[in-house]
Amino acid sequence: MGWKPRRRSGHHALGALAAAGIVLAATACSTPQAGDDSGDGGSEGPFTIGVSNGFIGSEWREQMISVLEDSFADYESEGVVDELVIESADVDVNGQIQQIRNLIRSDVDAIIVNPNSPTALDQVFAEAADQGIKIVAIDQAVESEHVTNVVIDQAEWASISAEWLAGEVGEGGRIVAVNGIDGHPANEARWSGAQEVFDEAGVEVAANDYAEWDQSKGQTVTRDLLASNPDVDGVFVQDGMALGAMQALQSEDLVSEVAITGEARVGYMKEWNKLRESDEDFSSIGVPNPPSVSVSALHVVLRQLQGEELKDGELENGNTLHLPIPETVTDENFDERFAEVEDKPDAYAVDHHITAEEADGYFE
Amino acid sequence: MSTPAPTRSPAASPAPTPPGPVAQAAQSVMSARMPTLAVTALLVITLAASIVLQPDFFSAYSLSASFATILPVATIAAAQTIIVLGGGIDLSIGTIVTLASAVSVVLMDGDNSRLPLALAAGLATGAACGLVNGLVVAGLRLQPIVATFATSSVFGGLALLVLPQPGGTASPVLTQGFGMVLAIYIPVPAVLLLALWLAWRLLRRHRFGQYLYAVGGNADAAYTSAVPVSAVRVFSYVAGGTVAALAGIALLADSGAGDPTLGTELTLGSIAALVIGGTRLRGGSGGVGGALVGAIVLSLIQGLVFFAGVPTDAREFVYGCIIIVAIALAGLLTSRNGTRRTAAARGKAGTA
Repeated sequence: MGWKPRRRSGHHALGALAAAGIVLAATACSTPQAGDDSGDGGSEGPFTIGVSNGFIGSEWREQMISVLEDSFADYESEGVVDELVIESADVDVNGQIQQIRNLIRSDVDAIIVNPNSPTALDQVFAEAADQGIKIVAIDQAVESEHVTNVVIDQAEWASISAEWLAGEVGEGGRIVAVNGIDGHPANEARWSGAQEVFDEAGVEVAANDYAEWDQSKGQTVTRDLLASNPDVDGVFVQDGMALGAMQALQSEDLVSEVAITGEARVGYMKEWNKLRESDEDFSSIGVPNPPSVSVSALHVVLRQLQGEELKDGELENGNTLHLPIPETVTDENFDERFAEVEDKPDAYAVDHHITAEEADGYFE
Repeated sequence: MSTPAPTRSPAASPAPTPPGPVAQAAQSVMSARMPTLAVTALLVITLAASIVLQPDFFSAYSLSASFATILPVATIAAAQTIIVLGGGIDLSIGTIVTLASAVSVVLMDGDNSRLPLALAAGLATGAACGLVNGLVVAGLRLQPIVATFATSSVFGGLALLVLPQPGGTASPVLTQGFGMVLAIYIPVPAVLLLALWLAWRLLRRHRFGQYLYAVGGNADAAYTSAVPVSAVRVFSYVAGGTVAALAGIALLADSGAGDPTLGTELTLGSIAALVIGGTRLRGGSGGVGGALVGAIVLSLIQGLVFFAGVPTDAREFVYGCIIIVAIALAGLLTSRNGTRRTAAARGKAGTA
């Protein structure tokens, strides 16, 4: 594998016990360290890649993994990689720490992680880095210096649909907001990006609530928000909940009066298509949040394994590579964009990833 | 607690009737150790399978990673066991872990000099949560399962108030100490696990430990034997809460940073671990030692499913099936002896 043995030696349990006995008298403490192969100049492969995903309650995550498997198969046929070890389950932080430790123990060369916490995996990331493993975080950024974040800028992502909504409701307009999970880092980044836009445009946020990126909760929360704020002009809703929010508007018969930010997912786009046909004034927007960020991350981490270095200036906050946000679905390009995905299941998210050549552009 | 008249605790002493001392001792060993035997058998099986499937199982990294993962889970299982032995149950235990770790991490904030204060505050938080649970259950006489379900929201909500977003760094001494390996080969978490078990042995010998079994086994009989039933119940929740706070600190040491969801999902795992460890959910029978081994078994099974190469989508299913088998095994071996033992204990307690 072109990969130096990681552990001090490949000794067996008995050998270790004997060694421990001999050194027992002379030693105090030590921290388990790998060999000195961290920061080596790269190798030829083929590489083993581990994936840790701590949440499976959404189709977005399913798509994230299945596109990664497809792209991995391409690299495999080229002989660059040999095995993809996937850890994907609903776990808390402690469970994800165990996932990552399992991957470390399966001798992976790199780990692609969709982290459940931006901070609480720091320790296990350091353990992995000690063993010379490259780590890439996708979907949301983590703080650990041992990790390269390959993500979209969530604040920018939210500001695109916020700007559209501000334009629809105009200065002095009142809106309600349906956000994801209170305290969730991606949610906080998005909402701060959107709020900035609303403040500048003079749009008043009458109420803000959370629907955990779930369509049916999105519907309930929107209905409640509309009931308690009957005179609003618009609804700001994040992706994964926009179809539910739209259904709430439809059941209150408010679609023509209240503007709503949409989502670039097939279910919502089908509804959008129907509404376009029945009402030519209907307008919406869908900013894609591509599940194929996993594929972009694979491109990046394989180059890191081959010893390439990211260019100076590509990284923000020291460890974050911001991917371009895919082209927004708008009233103007809707027909063309819808035709591309019309046959996919309702939960399919409009997707995009950087190509291998584009990934090369990030490196020296 | 007042000092009541000395009582003969029903669960703690061996049956004093004939036949002869040897047979009697053997019987006592058999009946007391049967659940322990069951969980030991499970441990041997899972351990053997782990060694087969993971050639590196005994490497220094692997061992230290295993114990670092096991310790928080085992500690929560110990906390839950103390409460269950006393006839209660605590569905809020995961959020006690969360709240205690949140309070600790906010206070220490990466500063070694504030570690003692932060640890003390974390433990006090756990004890306070336990006190609330104990008062609600023993004082207001609410059903423990419902009452602690409600308090779990209270504690979880408080954790979000204390630490609204993930953040805060554990002090370096704590994380480094936790990751250390003594004498080349023995991870610190393994030593802590042993210390936890020894502490339990001490508690069990103490009068409180004996009261705990008496109250959990038959509260009415315990009451007539002048055992302060309500006080023991409250104290079981306080002790459980304090131990849960220890689990929170262990999680903090293991993860290195605070998160307002740390530990919330460990509640049901703690109950599974103690059942596998031979503790009866109705209370009065079992022990922390079994629960610790039960937690180790659960954790090993999780690793096994992974290293056996079960596809990721099927892993959850396979894991669940194995847990059912493990619980069934533990139950089969435990209940036969357990019921006989309790029946004897009941009779004795009734006449005491």
